[in-house]
Amino acid sequence: MTRVDLLRVPWVGRLVRSRWPQVLLTVALLTGFVLAIVAGLAGTPVGNRNFGIVGVWIAWWAALMLVAVPVLGRGWCGVCPLGAVGDWLQRGAVLAPGRRGLGVGRRWPTKLRGRWLQNAGFLVLALASGAILTQPRVTGLVLLVLLLLAVGVSLVFERRTFCRYLCPVGGFVGLYSQLAPIELRVRDKRRCAAHRDKTCYVGCAAGSGCPWQVYPGALDRNPPCGLCLECVRTCPYDNIAISWRGFRSDLLTAPGHRPDEAFKALIMLGSALLYAAVFLGPWGTLKEAALGVGTGAWLAYAGAVVLLLVGVLPGAFLLAVQAGRRVGRSELPLKRAFAVYAGALVPVGLAAWIAFTLSLVLVNGSYVGAVVSDPFGWGWNLFGTTGARWAPAFTGLLPLAQSAVLIAGLGMTTVVAVRLAPQAHAERPLGQAAPVVLFALGVTLGMLRLLVG
Amino acid sequence: MAARRLKLGVLALGAAVVLLAPPPDAAGASGERTVRVEASGAAFSPAVIRARPGDRITIELVATDVVHGLAVDGYGVSTTAEPGRPGRVTFVASRGGTFRLRCSVTCGPLHPFVAGALEVGPNALLWRAGLLAALVALGGLWLARR
Amino acid sequence: MTGERVARLLVLAAVVGPLGVALGGRLGRRQGSAVVEVHARMASDGGWGPGAITVGVGDSLRLRLVSDDVMHGFAVGHTTIPPKDLKPGIPEDVTLRFDRPGTYTFYCTRWCGVNHWRMRGTIVVSGVGAEAAEDDREPVPVALDLDLDAPHPAAAVPGAAPDAARGWPLVAELPNADRDPEALGTAAPADVYLRLRADPAHAHRTDEELWNLVAALWLSAGSPAERRVGGELYAANCAACHGEGGDRRGVMAPALAASLPPSTMPGRGRPADFTDRRTMLGASSALLAGKILRGGMGTGMPNWGAILTDEQVRALVAHVWTFSLSDHQP
Repeated sequence: MTRVDLLRVPWVGRLVRSRWPQVLLTVALLTGFVLAIVAGLAGTPVGNRNFGIVGVWIAWWAALMLVAVPVLGRGWCGVCPLGAVGDWLQRGAVLAPGRRGLGVGRRWPTKLRGRWLQNAGFLVLALASGAILTQPRVTGLVLLVLLLLAVGVSLVFERRTFCRYLCPVGGFVGLYSQLAPIELRVRDKRRCAAHRDKTCYVGCAAGSGCPWQVYPGALDRNPPCGLCLECVRTCPYDNIAISWRGFRSDLLTAPGHRPDEAFKALIMLGSALLYAAVFLGPWGTLKEAALGVGTGAWLAYAGAVVLLLVGVLPGAFLLAVQAGRRVGRSELPLKRAFAVYAGALVPVGLAAWIAFTLSLVLVNGSYVGAVVSDPFGWGWNLFGTTGARWAPAFTGLLPLAQSAVLIAGLGMTTVVAVRLAPQAHAERPLGQAAPVVLFALGVTLGMLRLLVG
Repeated sequence: MAARRLKLGVLALGAAVVLLAPPPDAAGASGERTVRVEASGAAFSPAVIRARPGDRITIELVATDVVHGLAVDGYGVSTTAEPGRPGRVTFVASRGGTFRLRCSVTCGPLHPFVAGALEVGPNALLWRAGLLAALVALGGLWLARR
Repeated sequence: MTGERVARLLVLAAVVGPLGVALGGRLGRRQGSAVVEVHARMASDGGWGPGAITVGVGDSLRLRLVSDDVMHGFAVGHTTIPPKDLKPGIPEDVTLRFDRPGTYTFYCTRWCGVNHWRMRGTIVVSGVGAEAAEDDREPVPVALDLDLDAPHPAAAVPGAAPDAARGWPLVAELPNADRDPEALGTAAPADVYLRLRADPAHAHRTDEELWNLVAALWLSAGSPAERRVGGELYAANCAACHGEGGDRRGVMAPALAASLPPSTMPGRGRPADFTDRRTMLGASSALLAGKILRGGMGTGMPNWGAILTDEQVRALVAHVWTFSLSDHQP
């Protein structure tokens, strides 16, 4: 399938180059974000009647996991209010390019770069998820803290430091953007080589230099690029393209081989299994332990979770990679092989999260109607839908859909694992890939058992 | 290339078998079945109800702390109960497979996540999906062999 | 206006809008006509908030009731106001008006945990209103000065559950004096049985026939409507601890003892077994009514005097008798 250069389509090009559509969408999302915070902190404590819970963990999460990430990769980041507010303050403008605003603009310390902070942040949120997903006050507080953190970091550090190194959502959105069917790349690298000013990175009158600190000319994979679209506006040669690339993914063309990304992939995979067990499983004691943050039961639960996500699952994967190295007679160091093959886990990871999210949205999506009319649970009826009853939808099809998604993810992982062989420097590349594929099969069977069994 | 085509053919056949083979008949004739399900906190007990296709199932829901509900995915039946007043629902398990049980009355913060399962005969979908997954993984490796 | 200005205004609206809407909603409620917002929480988390409301005689009391956790219900004792279910997070509006001054008790009508029975509040109605009505006289058990806590073993018990249907034809043969409801109300079934047994007019009857007769006397005391009301009240209020079959195997019974403060009151945390004929048949309807009205003084048995009317208590007692005087199936 050939790439389709979307920006060459006239109306798409206009939509993307103009700042209005992006700003309007971002402002609308900001309104929702603030509403979620206010509803969470001041509204009813009953989760399924509060916009803070339903609007965020059902509506937004479903839109993110089922549409934004699989189709648009980092598309959410381009309109995310968390990063946008800091961005506007730094530029001193919302719409106009602007160059002088607030902020000290320091560089993020080298020691804190990479994904480790995002890994830790996601882990902390995962440990508290029992309370976050069910208590409006907690969600409101978490969102408020994230907003204040994002704005605070933007006022001290340069550009999108928060987005790159701290945002817990960006961590996995970036990881899974490797599978997205769209990509932002330069059209002709020679043009960039000849261009001395590199306005895409440095900025000009038309816009800022890349806030994500990426040099578009060298961009060859999706994760580093936040789709903020500044470079599309600043390139004087119209050399930036957003293309539809179909099933081609970054995993094979330009895989990342860093241990922090590898751990991210494993933590996300483990979390999908964990969430399926805790939230969708039948074990009440597990749910109560997850909810009671601070209690003794929760401490035991938290310990087990950390052990599982950071120890057991990565350990099992390490064993699989090591077995592969033996069988495949590979020369690649273990640490490197671990990082290379963790990339193959991206499809099963995304599939697992999509399968989990399908359950959330089909079973509880009907709450969204009521909460839109009565966001605080104060008895309002803004759009007449306040009386909407809880009505799980398509529950007969749900297990089928989940199975299909999980098997598709496994299929893609198998293809990627097999095709990563050339980079594994193995005598018998299939032997190297086989244990990894079996690991992915094990995870898939586990998810099937939890969701469909 | 021909070898590859052959392999694909074999795998496709395997997939067809997995997807289309009829499930084994559940042992024993169907009959009446009454199950007492206790709802407490954020769980049902027992969490899993087993039955045979064709059984006429009566679920007696006994709530032990607050008002709870029980709804069966796929069958669209539900009932509510509070301590001292159990709820009852009767239906014929005409469809085979595994269906989730959910709580239908807000019973606390964990309410949206309360879940159990009704297993009517063997879980054909789980078997098919599991075998298909194995076929995809192992078949993918096999296809890639030279 | 420049595009930038518009954009900045939109951002401002995005941030201030939801805040303003929330504040407006809150303030609007306060300024508006006096609606008292009452939150319902499980008793261990505070119960009713506020728990004490005041209103003048004849004035409208507008309440907005909302549950903050699980399903609750709202009803006011000694009134005909129908109970209202409170689904979590869904406010319900109710308007009350009281014609007589006094203290009314409002209570939760849906089991919301082991402390559900403690979930009560008061509405104090002040001012001058209608004169006190008939049913403000002393309840019978108080008038009789019964010792509600003394043990009451039955002087005689039947071998098996009596059959009131077979005993009903024999009731017609009794002299009117023996059928007087007030007299029966203060007598224990075992004592009436012994009296009949000793009476030469009934010497030809078997023990079984006499017990059937006693059962018929007790179980026909109320109308079918009353028995239905009694059954409803029992299911809603009593079955959780005393069991749907009156056998004290209610789902709440195990948690009850653990929830009470320490006390030396006998029977603490153990609901009465209404199927135990050795104790039940030695009690009178007046005694049972007294226990229901007064409660158990720290045993966990709630006091229903502020909530149930005398008719309701009578209906409840009629239902309770079915556990010991018949093969009662719930």
